[in-house]
Amino acid sequence: MLGNEAIARGAYEAGVRVAAAYPGTPSTEIVANLARYDGVYAEWSTNEKVAYEVAFGAAMGGVRALTAMKSAGASVAADPLISSVYTGVCGGLVVVVAGDPGMSSGMTEQDDRYFGRISGMPMLEPADSQECHDYVKLAFELSETYDVPVMVRLTTQVAHQKSVVRVDEPQRSERKPPDRKTEKYCLLPRFSRPLHASLLERVARLRGYAEASPLARVEPGAAGAGERPLAGPRRARLGVVSAGAAYISAKEALPDASFLKLGMIHPLPIGAIRRFAETVDRLFVVEELEPYLEEQILAAGIAVEGKEWFSALGELTPVRVGRGFVAAGLDLPRWAVEKAAEDVGVIPRPPVLCTGCPHRGMATAMKKLDLDVHGDIGCYDLTSLPPVSHMHSAVEMGASITMEQGFTRAGGSTKGSIAVIGDSTFLHSGLTGLLNAVHQGTNVTLVIQNNGITAMTGGQTHAGNERTLAGATSTPVDLPGICRALGVRHIQIVDPYDYQSCLDALKAGLAFDGPAVIITDRPCMLFPRKIAGDGYYEVDEDICTACQQCMKLGCPSLHHTDAVVKKRHKVAIDASTCTGCSLCAQLCKPGAITKAALQ
Amino acid sequence: MSRAKRKASSAGSAVGRKVADILVVGVGGQGVIMAAAIIADTALLHGGLQVKLIETHGMSQRGGGVQSQIRIGPKVVAPVISPGEVDFLLAFEAAEGLRLAPSLTADGVAVVNTRQIVPPLASYGDFAYPFDALERLRAQGRNVLPVDGDAVAEEVGDVKVAGVVLVGALSTHLPFAVEIWRQAIAKNVPASWLEPNLAAFAAGRKVGDAACAGKVAADARTAGAAAENAEGGADKREGGADKREGGLRA
Repeated sequence: MLGNEAIARGAYEAGVRVAAAYPGTPSTEIVANLARYDGVYAEWSTNEKVAYEVAFGAAMGGVRALTAMKSAGASVAADPLISSVYTGVCGGLVVVVAGDPGMSSGMTEQDDRYFGRISGMPMLEPADSQECHDYVKLAFELSETYDVPVMVRLTTQVAHQKSVVRVDEPQRSERKPPDRKTEKYCLLPRFSRPLHASLLERVARLRGYAEASPLARVEPGAAGAGERPLAGPRRARLGVVSAGAAYISAKEALPDASFLKLGMIHPLPIGAIRRFAETVDRLFVVEELEPYLEEQILAAGIAVEGKEWFSALGELTPVRVGRGFVAAGLDLPRWAVEKAAEDVGVIPRPPVLCTGCPHRGMATAMKKLDLDVHGDIGCYDLTSLPPVSHMHSAVEMGASITMEQGFTRAGGSTKGSIAVIGDSTFLHSGLTGLLNAVHQGTNVTLVIQNNGITAMTGGQTHAGNERTLAGATSTPVDLPGICRALGVRHIQIVDPYDYQSCLDALKAGLAFDGPAVIITDRPCMLFPRKIAGDGYYEVDEDICTACQQCMKLGCPSLHHTDAVVKKRHKVAIDASTCTGCSLCAQLCKPGAITKAALQ
Repeated sequence: MSRAKRKASSAGSAVGRKVADILVVGVGGQGVIMAAAIIADTALLHGGLQVKLIETHGMSQRGGGVQSQIRIGPKVVAPVISPGEVDFLLAFEAAEGLRLAPSLTADGVAVVNTRQIVPPLASYGDFAYPFDALERLRAQGRNVLPVDGDAVAEEVGDVKVAGVVLVGALSTHLPFAVEIWRQAIAKNVPASWLEPNLAAFAAGRKVGDAACAGKVAADARTAGAAAENAEGGADKREGGADKREGGLRA
């Protein structure tokens, strides 16, 4: 099972009744899998804060509930995340946060472990699929025993590895009588001051639990292996404190050392760490990203080495941990020689917008007008990469329309600037930003690249769809209608396969005095189902002048031929993948590209 | 003996080796993830072994590269394979095989599909696609088994089963019974696609067997076969270039 599948299975066995999330790599598979279990209500919520609150409310209502999110999602949900530790819960509430050291898909390498310290929320960190399964079940128990939401922290290497899981029978979980307790759930100062005191007291009790719990597991090492001799006959005893994916890498890198494997990373069992430290001559802490464990161990007056040897950047793979131990002076033949993956100079293969992608027309038109483009989070971010290479910010969910307002207030740019957001991201956190533009009367133009789905994470539904994750029918949100209701007075719907219309719409939107919205109306080529398209186009090589206008589209179905004119290659179209969107034909001035006759 | 030394001293078959580290690479949509699942399930069904797998696919559905790492052994700690420790590289695409070849051990085996998928970036100036990937792999002294997965798959009925042809070719290097491979395939493909996939596996295995037989033969003959293969590779390269017009559908 994938780590994420094991989380879902464990939650199902623990009797979870409500699961809510907004899709986000590497956490998406958790709620996607929970949706397949009987008796579990699962939803794709409009954003992570909404998802958190849905799960929180379900827990208050007396059932076990789960929410899952990526790092950035935890930041979006930080408000209820912190407040819910004050209130506590009724049914168990488990919050899964999946970080992404190495940024295989994330925007930052945010170290989510600090959420435990900010909020006082207890935090478990599994290292493989079995622990994902076991820890999520334990997390529900702890949540109800200590009346607090419990976080299970993952990273990509744990969420996306597959290993064998011993599963159990699902247990029945009865709904508890729902909480109706003003002093517990109304965070007015008079109620929340005593709640903060009990929060701190609870952290102390949880630390006691962490100290006594088998979650902190000592694994004695092979005596005297893998290190330099001390002066005298006895060899140095090496100890490693670690958790999660870093523990797995450290165990691979230095299998003979003694380990203190932590399962609970907030609060930390400092007493157990101290006792372990006393049994070794040299103590290392191996952790990805920030010196989260290291600083707490040092603060307790325990000597430990960590970030001096192990980078704060990226994933700590076994080889990177092994190289760290070598740098620290250990004699480890397996890691002694640097074997960095040799770059043999093979052409890179970055992801590109699909053939027929509905984002392409608008992106090309914006480039043509040389606008400053303030993007958002979605597939259209690929237009920041070659060959389109025309996007100037893509920071976090919803930031397009709001940063564009500030950019405009700063004076804008000479050729004009524009905000670009996808439909799912617009519904996630674009609405309030657009409302602000209307209220302030800021003269901005927003393009909603509406492809009808949450595409980048694999085609999850959103409020614009007719079906929910739970299988119910839903009334799709009316995008132009909602913009109108927010007070936008210029709204234009455009076919993104019509290049001239894209150009005209952008010009009209920019010329309009006041907030303007342009909405595209073609579906994603991959989701909810792959679209083969409508016929294909072909290039008449005799007419093609190798002008390269079509190649500006960055379409994967266009490629150079061996025919060269003035040092430039002519172009051909891959008939089997062309979907017939016709953009290349529209850009072709000599008229070399035409639709192939049906056979 | 350290693991590294043990690896260096063991040549040829994986039987008796403590851990088999297998890297499957390709382009999104080629079936890399499913092939890796078949290999991992085979090892699990074989019994008595630990198996760990990790996928990196980023945005593979949009033409990017995709990788799956599988580690098999009596005891497996990390799912991640360390640089230079891959025993078997299963490349669904020739340039991806060339890219990942440095991750192989000195005597590691590369099973490489002769299929070439030229990324769009090749048409934008700075990078050229390595049409000579197989020749370069041989020049590096790699133990290469080229397989024309698409052609073999078409022979058994459908180009879509090319991935399982490659799995079949790799299977001759791994100590698992054919019946177990077939069970693992049945677990991972839709029932309606089982027959063509089993046929693809058998056809791929034949390619692998033929290559193994070639190895057993005299050195001179092996050298001859290699030269022949090189020619075959060149032919296929042209085929690949032609196919660019007809080829990419996954």
